Amino acid sequence: MLENLKAATFEVLETMFFLFPETLEGVAGLFHGPGVRAWVPIQGPKGLRVGLTVPLKMAQEMGANFLGISTDQLSQEKMEDVLKEAANMVAGAFLGREKASADFHLMPPQITILNLDEEKWEENGNHVLFAVDDYGMEVFLEKNGNS
Amino acid sequence: MAYNVLIVDDSATMRTLIRKILSISGFDVGEYFEGANGLEALKVLEQHWVDIILSDLHMPEMDGEAFIKVLRDHNLWRNIPVVLVTTESRQEVLDPFVQQGIQGYIRKPFKPEAIRDKLISILGGELHVGELEGCDF
Repeated sequence: MLENLKAATFEVLETMFFLFPETLEGVAGLFHGPGVRAWVPIQGPKGLRVGLTVPLKMAQEMGANFLGISTDQLSQEKMEDVLKEAANMVAGAFLGREKASADFHLMPPQITILNLDEEKWEENGNHVLFAVDDYGMEVFLEKNGNS
Repeated sequence: MAYNVLIVDDSATMRTLIRKILSISGFDVGEYFEGANGLEALKVLEQHWVDIILSDLHMPEMDGEAFIKVLRDHNLWRNIPVVLVTTESRQEVLDPFVQQGIQGYIRKPFKPEAIRDKLISILGGELHVGELEGCDF
């Protein structure tokens, strides 16, 4: 499952954001300061959520790359919209790679701002960490109790 | 010949991106119209003629499935070509829309030329401004 999540993330970042993630040692040390987490609840036989977490500066770079503008021209609203769209695309690509049945439905994406210094960053069975342009990126697949 | 395009997506940034791709692709667009969901798109159609609709599937208020059903039941709108631009990649989900007569789908994430190529394959036409390849998105 995580391999498909990784592949889906790489596909989205490379195709739509012109970003090329790398798996590096010590990537957990690249999560600092304000960050953005966007995720998509998936309703179906199992309640899941698929999402990503990035430092705010990475989120701004993603927004600018996506829209072909400079980070100075990017509003907070646009940045959040782009991050939600990124999570949406990762979730959709993941379900496709998993060949999930049509009983699984993508729900509207959600977003939150968080302090990355207050979180613990480690890879496990549900979370994958990448380095992208000297910033950390987490993608996750979790059970969603609210679905 | 210029074509009027209706872009239906709940993400404003995705609508902006598609519009931007079309405007630099050389595809001959007359007017752009936008809607954040099926209901907004229907209001546009009541006021304007469009030649092709690019629609998302998962949207609040009225999703792509309900929107396409309204189009197919309408005397004037039933023949407007519809292309789904969607995060959905499961054939099992997409096939019923093809059977309902949509002209195709583009899966997000997509390469910019995928949109241009799909529109040209449906509407015909030539590129008249410049080739997409080499453009800086």
